[in-house]
Amino acid sequence: MALMRRSLLQGSLGFAAGSPLARPYIANAQAKTMSAWFAQGFVEDEDIALRKAVAGYEKASGNKVELSIIPFAPQRQKIVSAITSGVVPDVTQNNPAEILPLYAWQDKWIETEDIVETQKARFSETALKSAQAYNDVTKKRAYYGVPLRGACVPCHTWKSLVEKADMKMADRPRTWEGYFDFYKKVQDNLRKKGERKVYGLGFQVTANGVDPAALFNAFMHGYGGQGIVTPEGNLNLDARIREAAIKAAEYLGGAYRDGYVPPSAINWNDADDNNAFHAKLMVMDVDGTISTEVAVKAKHPEWYFDEIVTDGLLYPTTNDGKPITCITAMLNAVIPKGAKNVPVAKEFLKFLIQPEVLQDTVETGLGRNLPPMPELAKTPFWQNPKDPHLKGYVQQGLLGPTQPDYYVFNPAMAEVYAQHVYSKAMIAVAKKGKATDAVDAAFNEIKEIFAKYPIKQS
Amino acid sequence: MTATTVLDVGASSPGKRRSLWRYWRGNLKGSEFTWALAFSVPYIAVFLGFVAYPVFYGLWMGSDPALYSDVFSDVIYQDTVINTLVFVVLGVNLKLFLALLLSGVFMRPGWLTKVMLMLFVLPWAVPQLPAFISLHWMLNGEWGLLNNALWILGGIEGPSWLNERWTALGAAIASHLWKWTPFWTVILLAGRMSIPQDIYDAAKVDGATGLNRFLFVTFPLLANLYLVLTLLATIFLLGDFNTVFFVTGGGPNNETHLLATLGIRNAFDLARPDLGVAVVMTALPVLIPLVIILMRKLRTTEVQL
Amino acid sequence: MSMRGFAVSGPLAIAATSDRSTRAGRAARRRRHASNAAILLLYAVMLVWTLTPIYNIVMIALEHEGDVYGNSIVPVQPSFDSFWVVVSQGYWYLENFWHQFGNTVFIAGMVTFLVLLIASMTSFTVGRMRLRNGWLLTNAALLTYVIPASFLAIPFYLIMNRYGLANNPWSVIAALVTFATPYAIFIFQEYGRSIPLELDESARIDGASPLVIYLRIYLPLMSPALVAVGTYALLLAWNEYLYQFLLLSDKRSMTVPVALAQFLNSDQAPWNYMMATAIIYALPPLATYYAFRHRMSSGLTMGGVKG
Repeated sequence: MALMRRSLLQGSLGFAAGSPLARPYIANAQAKTMSAWFAQGFVEDEDIALRKAVAGYEKASGNKVELSIIPFAPQRQKIVSAITSGVVPDVTQNNPAEILPLYAWQDKWIETEDIVETQKARFSETALKSAQAYNDVTKKRAYYGVPLRGACVPCHTWKSLVEKADMKMADRPRTWEGYFDFYKKVQDNLRKKGERKVYGLGFQVTANGVDPAALFNAFMHGYGGQGIVTPEGNLNLDARIREAAIKAAEYLGGAYRDGYVPPSAINWNDADDNNAFHAKLMVMDVDGTISTEVAVKAKHPEWYFDEIVTDGLLYPTTNDGKPITCITAMLNAVIPKGAKNVPVAKEFLKFLIQPEVLQDTVETGLGRNLPPMPELAKTPFWQNPKDPHLKGYVQQGLLGPTQPDYYVFNPAMAEVYAQHVYSKAMIAVAKKGKATDAVDAAFNEIKEIFAKYPIKQS
Repeated sequence: MTATTVLDVGASSPGKRRSLWRYWRGNLKGSEFTWALAFSVPYIAVFLGFVAYPVFYGLWMGSDPALYSDVFSDVIYQDTVINTLVFVVLGVNLKLFLALLLSGVFMRPGWLTKVMLMLFVLPWAVPQLPAFISLHWMLNGEWGLLNNALWILGGIEGPSWLNERWTALGAAIASHLWKWTPFWTVILLAGRMSIPQDIYDAAKVDGATGLNRFLFVTFPLLANLYLVLTLLATIFLLGDFNTVFFVTGGGPNNETHLLATLGIRNAFDLARPDLGVAVVMTALPVLIPLVIILMRKLRTTEVQL
Repeated sequence: MSMRGFAVSGPLAIAATSDRSTRAGRAARRRRHASNAAILLLYAVMLVWTLTPIYNIVMIALEHEGDVYGNSIVPVQPSFDSFWVVVSQGYWYLENFWHQFGNTVFIAGMVTFLVLLIASMTSFTVGRMRLRNGWLLTNAALLTYVIPASFLAIPFYLIMNRYGLANNPWSVIAALVTFATPYAIFIFQEYGRSIPLELDESARIDGASPLVIYLRIYLPLMSPALVAVGTYALLLAWNEYLYQFLLLSDKRSMTVPVALAQFLNSDQAPWNYMMATAIIYALPPLATYYAFRHRMSSGLTMGGVKG
């Protein structure tokens, strides 16, 4: 079989060389061409920013970057196909983010420490941690990513809907349950006023996409259940974590069960919740990045500046008033093993993580993405007092207490998310199950998954 | 089978090779044989380059037996098998039965029928992606067109169609019927139209009209075509990914996956392409016999269609 | 259909008129009226069934962004702006719309042409030249369907790179030709049976070469099947999404279905533009179908329904 494949392969290479369809080889011997895959932005400005940075590199180096900007959701399929087949680009983004630790485990990336080293002192601790992952072949944790931008999960609220319910934004409690209970009252008041279809809470109680895991994590932290995976990659399901998980499942599933979440939420995909929010079908949601706001800035400046409130600065605390450590997911660039132009790829990435380049990329992209360096949060752009969202967002996701997502510590968590283990627990409660049973089932499944990813570190 | 024959040619003595050569040529004369070869080269090239290689690669990806214990122990897979059975049995049979009936209706003369046929084939031409997304929204419980219409026209609060396993699966089947019944109707319509009018005339003389005409004249003539179409539709439907992926997304709670969508989920969402291929491989015990039956249908020229 | 319908006028054909005044005639007329009413009812149901999802698409295209989620069943303040945006490439997802449209036309055109060429040549060899064991070819073709196309995506991605066709429209053309040809061969084989072999024989006796027979006799007689399969291949290429997305990655090489998928990318997409794009995109295959539908009907008979 192997033999056959090889001879077929040779034959096909011959076909490629002799075929008029083959791409012309670049004539210039000095200039090198490398390929890079990035995910398309959620707003046009992000792509413009990326193209600008790439053009900057091309000008500075004389090399050429074949840039493919690929729609966000399907990029996953492309990367998996590429890694599986071994035909890889020189640089790609870790989209979805779990791809980094998942394939690091299988020894599919090239180490990047020399790249990160050039700016190491500037990166936030979370950014540096997120760039590292455990390699099960070498049995070591090492740098495989190059941090480019970050994202965290704020709460978004329609101020106008709160006011329509004759309530005031300023009256919202700062503690976790109080904060969310407030919106249940908003819904009750709106119902009394004859609003048939507006719901208080836009929880993604669904087993689709990436939103539900982020939501559940936020609630785990809100209930003081931080650290289900230790930085060394070990699973921790102690009493504190279990209690937080039970409360989170009960609150999230319970809100659905009690009619405070749109019924269709149980089968939402990643776009459905944003669509419903923009259509003012719910008063608030907990959803990644401020794309919710940025996306409407051009068309509905009144929404951006006046109607939608992002709680970054005023993010709720735990029930006993402690600040919450936010999970900041980092987007990294990675170089797959088998890349043809590793030196050029490294040079390109060193160029991209220069502070001024990062600043320009992030700020041209309207601030939907957080910079990976705290110093870049102090610019006039982020601290602009006239902007209602940016300052709070950067505070929550970069300057305040943050940590990487748990799959960074152990890729088992990536599988936990992909299998939607948390979603199953929420849905069980939504369908009138007991939260303790739901969490026990979830924890059993989590244990099984972690058994497949043992980390033995010296 | 092909492979062994080819190998024989390579390994045999010159004398044997000559006789094999003649065997392959059959009754064709020299230049004609060359022509025949030349005419079949394009497809042989396509087959070797784009079918044999990827199919073997796919089989190789799903060849580890350990994968299958993972697949079979997955609760979602167990649901998926049932869903796929329901989807295929209902989907194929409803689609073809409707197509058979409607093709009869479209045989009627008159401009209204013609206009109806033109409208009826519209879904076939609409691109899949926006069509299925439109259906996904239409079926939304809170703001979908369907429930809005029920509320405004009848004061009925419609259910959230996509929230329960069976209504969601039903919605997916209905969406599939909407999109694909026209295609099969057009084929069956063509089949009906190729039945010579004099057969009907003869049947009329014998007093066969209406249902009798259908049961004893039309259907026997169409039966073989109908059977072949059933086989083809089953094979195509087993690979259908777009309907469920865009209409229900496999939800709620991964309860409405088909083998095709579960395979894609495993391959890409879990980043386990081998597990994805393994899921689909479990359909081979059904697919291979279907393909073999189709091959027979195609090979035996004498069988009257 | 047209052949039978031409002599009749009125919405539904009211056929024979000889038995007008007899008692049996009255009963027959009543039955006819009843069946006409049933047909009208059926048509009404079919209209609602067929047109509701299409109406939804049109409604969204005519609405303003965000109205999708309203509780109205008619467009609020309908406008054709979104069509204009698409046509004038006035939104960033659509900035290369016409170029991408051109890519689609090129791909669909080549797929149609190659499927017809390769499949007709193959079925000519097998069915008309009687190449011994030619059936192996047609059987092999059906093997293509053993593993559904959506699962060969990863192997395909790999081999296209090996063949040097990454991000090249020819990779999509190759993939779609691969999946459409077996069905085409199948139809051609079946249809070809309705053409008497004696035609070939007499031409051969007159000294015609197989090429001449293929061009002068086979192809013209097969034309209904060619039209039918051509339409099938065109629609397949026009509608396909997975392979186009996987094999084409930048904005210039993308086709319209891939460009449409960009809308799914975003948290907040102007769905009205997406649906307007879909409507414009659906027009060429519709026009093709309506242009060829008469010949298509006769071409898809798969030859076989003989008395």
